[in-house]
Amino acid sequence: MPILDQGYQHWNGQLRGHAWRWLTITRQGARAQLKNRWVWLMIIGACLPALILSGFLVLWGLFEQKSRVLTPLLFLFQGLPDELRAGPRGYRTTFWTLAFNQFLDIQLFFAMALVLLVGPELISQDLRFNAMPLYFARPVRRIDYFAGKLGVIAAYLGAIMVVPVLLAFGIGFAFSLDPLVFRDTWRVLVASLAYGAVVVLSAGTLMLAISSLSRNSRFVGAIWIGLWVASGVASTVLNQTIHKDWCPLLSYTANLTRMRDAMLDSQTSRDKVTALFQAGQNQLRQGARPNPFQRRSGRVNFSVGPPQPPAPPTAGANSTRNARGPWQTPSYPWQWSAAVLAGLGVLSAWILATRVRSLDRLR
Amino acid sequence: MATPGTFRGRICYFIADEARAEISGPTIRAGSDWDDGATEFAMLIELNGVTKTYGKVTALSGLSVTLPEGSIGLLGPNGAGKTTMIRSLLGLIALDAGSGRVLGMDIRTSRMDIRQSVGFVPEDECLFPAVMGVQFVAYAGELVGMQSRDALQRAHEVLDYVGLGEARYRRVESYSTGMKQRIKIASAIVHDPRLLILDEPTNGMDPAGREEILALARDLSRAKGMSLVFSSHLLPDVEAVCEDVVVLGRGRLLAQGRIDTLKQPHDRQFEVRVKGDQFAFAGRLAARGIDAAPTDDHLLVQLPEGTGTAVLWETADQTGEQLRALRPRRSTLEEIFLSALAEQD
Repeated sequence: MPILDQGYQHWNGQLRGHAWRWLTITRQGARAQLKNRWVWLMIIGACLPALILSGFLVLWGLFEQKSRVLTPLLFLFQGLPDELRAGPRGYRTTFWTLAFNQFLDIQLFFAMALVLLVGPELISQDLRFNAMPLYFARPVRRIDYFAGKLGVIAAYLGAIMVVPVLLAFGIGFAFSLDPLVFRDTWRVLVASLAYGAVVVLSAGTLMLAISSLSRNSRFVGAIWIGLWVASGVASTVLNQTIHKDWCPLLSYTANLTRMRDAMLDSQTSRDKVTALFQAGQNQLRQGARPNPFQRRSGRVNFSVGPPQPPAPPTAGANSTRNARGPWQTPSYPWQWSAAVLAGLGVLSAWILATRVRSLDRLR
Repeated sequence: MATPGTFRGRICYFIADEARAEISGPTIRAGSDWDDGATEFAMLIELNGVTKTYGKVTALSGLSVTLPEGSIGLLGPNGAGKTTMIRSLLGLIALDAGSGRVLGMDIRTSRMDIRQSVGFVPEDECLFPAVMGVQFVAYAGELVGMQSRDALQRAHEVLDYVGLGEARYRRVESYSTGMKQRIKIASAIVHDPRLLILDEPTNGMDPAGREEILALARDLSRAKGMSLVFSSHLLPDVEAVCEDVVVLGRGRLLAQGRIDTLKQPHDRQFEVRVKGDQFAFAGRLAARGIDAAPTDDHLLVQLPEGTGTAVLWETADQTGEQLRALRPRRSTLEEIFLSALAEQD
């Protein structure tokens, strides 16, 4: 078929400025990844912890109000310490902190898996198909390119870490029927969002750097798995053999976890809950259990049936430095983890600057 | 030393040494779609003393060139600085020295604006991966700042124009070499640039595909009013598409001007085609002291000083031969190119 039959029309539309060019790259990349059904499955899977978090916050809000709606669920509250049942609002921040901390802990797994699915092709494919001249010959700077690619990872991680946090916070706020809940818990929200940003920035730049190392996205995926799983295994093995404080620093996810603990100050909440439950257990042992809940109009008496003393979480005082359970924050300073993550960020930036070169060079 | 000539309002130069052609005065562009009747005084491209080195390699050495609108062929051997010149035009490189303007925009300070206004077809095989043809072109449009809807609509139009309408929903990785070249052109013209830069657009293409690309480039330039910078090693390609030519060598300007002008007719050399035995006719001319070398289907005749073409008619009359063609010989683009390179050495 001869060409030129269709003619050619001039176009007189308006071109936008350069500031949001990265968003075009992000949109295109995010759209392309949606074709991957594994990405969809991962996102759907990541919604379950968010639903559980939201459910918990709903329950907590109703618990604070001693709502009748909870009557069928009274058995859940029977073993709680009296102090908690008497004044749940006093523990609002603590339990919200622990709930968000636990949620983010689970989401970190989904985040790493999602980065594994979304990230490897971002730059490696562009290198394989030599797409850089197409980008940089247009009004796209390297920083726009990197920001656009990072935006793809940010979009997906945001969907499973940031959006659920915001929604759950809103739901918790709505079900608390107490405007003071914002005063008590805004730090939890800010810390959770900040942690999400840390994960996005750290994992995003790291994945982009790895993606720029190879034109084969499978190799990139393998490197990511190695960094994620192998570093964790190495950290665990070293921790159990040489018992040094710095051992967890070898694990990428342990560093992110340490940052989360520091941001949410979750250790304080853990200690508070531990002390609460230990006090409750002691009271039960002494056979003195006051009944703070009196039946009132519209309220539920939670003191139904014989209470069972809950087992307190692993006490920090009883754990040794190197036989630390998940309930306790590692003893090394969070700044060490921050330094490791910052170092990885600098390394990633250097790799990106080296591997994704501008066109200002000899061919 | 420069020999100027003026054709249709354009000023053309043949430059025999590194001296820069000082072109002054306006160029009036007429007949293009942007021509609103007003006189436009800006040149398409102006480079002044542009120097670019990469370590010990000097890619551009004080290059100064002023180009009018139209289709411009960029010629030069490997390492002549063609690609570096193109990159400097697009503001992709930091210049060591010199200045320049493209479409009136400074190549140092308005890089992004230049790239937004110019379409560029890179030499290498390069693709946005994992997209269909129409997405490819629309994405390219969005990257220069088009709205998504405009870009998609325009992508369909230009894909029809370049002859990829039926392949628009195929993944670009499955395209043939020619199709990839055409989709690169489509993505470069999606925002209807005033200037389109094609870097070796016919590389690696079969003759039919090459002819299609040349026809496309010609149409864009001559019928659609788009200015072209057409870089190629293939002189016939440049000749088929371009009106002007720039010859580079070792980062310097060797020659520049309209191809018609550069292919100047020779006063004493003629191409002669006879009906009968051209060898016998050449022998007769030789007997008269005239050099006549058989070339393809004609004779290349060098007349001595003081001799006119009448001697050819006389010889034909004497030998009973018929002259079927008699015309002054013109330099070929290849000769111009080689001559420019030789003068450089």
